[in-house]
Amino acid sequence: MLAYFLRRVALTVPTFLALMFLTFVAIRLVLGDPVEVRVGEHGISPERLAFFRHQLGLDQPLWKQFFDYVWKLLHGDFGVSLATQQKVLTEFATLFPATLELAFFAMMFAVLVGVPAGAIAAVKRGSVFDQALMTVSLFGYSMPIFWWGLLLIMFVSVKLGLLPVSGRIDLINYYFDQPTGFMTIDALLSDEPGAFLDALRHLVLPAIVLGTVPLGVIARMTRSSMLEVLNEDYVRTARAKGLSPGRVIGVHALRNALLPVVTVIGLSVSGLMAGAVLTETIFSWPGVGHWLIDSIGRRDYPALQGGVMLVSAVVILVNLIVDLIYGMIDPRISHGR
Amino acid sequence: MKAITLAGLGLAALLAGVGAASAKTLVYCSEGSPENFTPAINTTGTSFDAARPVYNRLTEFKRGTTEVVPGLAESWDITDGGKTITFHLRKGVKFHLLKDFKATRDFNADDVLWSIDRQWKPDHPYFKVSGGKYDYFNDMDMPTLLESVEKTDDHTVVMKLKTPNVAILANLAMDFMAIGSKEYAYFLLKKGTPEQFDQAPVGTGPFSFVAYQKDSVIRYKANKNYYGEKPLVDDLVFAITPDATARYAKLKAGECHVNAYPRPADLAEMEKDPSLKVIHAPGLNVAYWAFNNQKPPFDKKEVRQALSMAIDRDAIIKDVYLGAGEKATTLIPPTMWSYDDKIADIPYDPEKAKEMLAAAGVHAPLDIDLWYQPVSRPYNPNGKRIGEMMQSDLAKIGVNAKLITYEWGEYRKRIQDGEDMTGQMGWTGDNGDPDNFFFLLGCPEGKPAGNNIPKWCNAEFNDLLVKARSVPDQAERAKLYQRMQEIEHDEAPSLLVAHSIVFEAMRSNVTGYKQSPLGTHAFEGVDIQ
Repeated sequence: MLAYFLRRVALTVPTFLALMFLTFVAIRLVLGDPVEVRVGEHGISPERLAFFRHQLGLDQPLWKQFFDYVWKLLHGDFGVSLATQQKVLTEFATLFPATLELAFFAMMFAVLVGVPAGAIAAVKRGSVFDQALMTVSLFGYSMPIFWWGLLLIMFVSVKLGLLPVSGRIDLINYYFDQPTGFMTIDALLSDEPGAFLDALRHLVLPAIVLGTVPLGVIARMTRSSMLEVLNEDYVRTARAKGLSPGRVIGVHALRNALLPVVTVIGLSVSGLMAGAVLTETIFSWPGVGHWLIDSIGRRDYPALQGGVMLVSAVVILVNLIVDLIYGMIDPRISHGR
Repeated sequence: MKAITLAGLGLAALLAGVGAASAKTLVYCSEGSPENFTPAINTTGTSFDAARPVYNRLTEFKRGTTEVVPGLAESWDITDGGKTITFHLRKGVKFHLLKDFKATRDFNADDVLWSIDRQWKPDHPYFKVSGGKYDYFNDMDMPTLLESVEKTDDHTVVMKLKTPNVAILANLAMDFMAIGSKEYAYFLLKKGTPEQFDQAPVGTGPFSFVAYQKDSVIRYKANKNYYGEKPLVDDLVFAITPDATARYAKLKAGECHVNAYPRPADLAEMEKDPSLKVIHAPGLNVAYWAFNNQKPPFDKKEVRQALSMAIDRDAIIKDVYLGAGEKATTLIPPTMWSYDDKIADIPYDPEKAKEMLAAAGVHAPLDIDLWYQPVSRPYNPNGKRIGEMMQSDLAKIGVNAKLITYEWGEYRKRIQDGEDMTGQMGWTGDNGDPDNFFFLLGCPEGKPAGNNIPKWCNAEFNDLLVKARSVPDQAERAKLYQRMQEIEHDEAPSLLVAHSIVFEAMRSNVTGYKQSPLGTHAFEGVDIQ
């Protein structure tokens, strides 16, 4: 197990190196000098242009810029945002809890709805429920997030007035310290009655929107995995032993069927990060996805470069953890079989 | 069953929400996060809007106009032929309080000198704090204009200029000239956190800063001691909502009272909604198509006039601006003082254009380059589309226009160097003073890298421009600018295409809101009924 763990951790090193290189190159492929492009109609004097290019290290040869960048990254220095003059790492740390909270609730929604739905569809294979679920999950999987989010806002929030349009909390009625950055936790810690419920209300629509794609994937994966498991000998044996159908499905079949679902959940994290970019924009959710989009608009290259690295690091880390858990659940994996 | 009932009750509570009593709070759905809260070091309207409630300047723009009125300076005297301005500062003005800072003295001349010197003098202790970029101070030519700024006593500041320029009074009303607390700056320097000055601002304005959460919210509290127009609400909240559709949804749902930058496509529906109101005014900008006057055949004014007549600007405004624009007849928009409404519009007349070209000795086909802007600008939503429409109009009079563009930084540099034959450009005004527009056609700006894109130099126009800078009386200055508009119209160095129209939307129960021609948002004097 330890060898597997070390092997898996070592594998992330080349991934990180490739990522550093790709991020560096991709941003330099974008047209326009990062200083010039921010200048409006007034223009900029050659002296000031040279000064700011020097400040950003853009007057150095490309190879030196790359090594400086890697050296700084290795020392935990992700640079300073051009727009705000704040450390990129500080900005990321401020915004990441909002993304994490949203991703957590989106995944909860996807798992809590997707797994039972997929399992029921498998047990009642061919039924109306099964067919309806498969059609709905296909819709969920292929739904454009932006459109889906706006549709929900227009119908649930504006037309029916049931849930708030966007944001994380009712800004008029609630104002409290946020030591953790997780609104639900901070609301609980605050003495404001009703704040926790309000924070949950703000989470409902964005979590549904962000969770829709993984929900479709998880439901389909659970269903196909269950169908396979339901034909296994040990399930037949359990039935023959006279165990109740609930116990056969819940304990013997579902537990084994969930193994591939765990992998899918891990893989969905990168999808959640990509989806967060759009979801956070639609719902004015102050997370890293929205921040990255903003950085592109502002041509804030250090923020963009550092932000992409940090988000990617989170995805790699989550995948590593999932692999390790998977190794623990199914020892065949860690033994390289 | 019990579990289901409980779950149902939970869901009902979730959907119903929980209300709580509150003071009167005005929520402005803003379009983005500020870069910081010190206008001197930032460049975006979003950042200026966020700092404006907190700060004052020596002079101010009267709310809803470009008229310069007293601010922290109660009055001023202009002497020495417009080269010396003596400011008499307001007494008894208090700075806001923060949790960890309480000013021991009122605002005085030291704060003025400190705020100007920060942007001007490299040996100032804050010169390099937060990046040390003072774009507006440099863009508005302040280092070139200023000779010295000194105090003669705690409430008198004397500003000496290198050349007469009364338009500097409008510069002083701009956001970058916000006056901060010197005492607060030194307090932070001592504490070792000078950059906090730019993150947690202390000013004298109508609202004091309370808190900021990036990409989420900015909170302000009404300054009950404010010397100027009093805030009518207790709290001001900027709910940062970058997506225009989401801003509209929030406005409809009553989650915000005033909405920044509504989408033109939503305006018709907004106007029909009785719970909302929409106001609009021409933006302080202009889009134009410049003819390079130094390149034949554009050195002949008849050719420039002919090509101007060939373009159907009504069609451009309808199809590209989607109605959010109006035809420009002079360089300045109609909201600016000195605008001459007697200037006739250039008619769209392709037949006459053909005749004029022939009379000028230009025979079809004429091949020209037409540079179009590669990015959308406040005055030009789609340079490429406008370029294509112009190209098609020009073809009708036998002019073959080749469309050319570059990446924005490169485009701006090349067109400022006069490499183009004809090209799109525009301008967004900074300070509401006509000089800030007409300098674009002054002879000094016609040199390479200058902002005179048509590279047109007219001696009479230039003399009037220089003269207007030394005349303190606004009515007299206006006459000079009106004469300049006549010259410009007759000479047609560029075809003036459009001024954008800026819309603002709010709940019907919002009162006292005044749209600024400068495109800024201010909330003193605004109430919710």
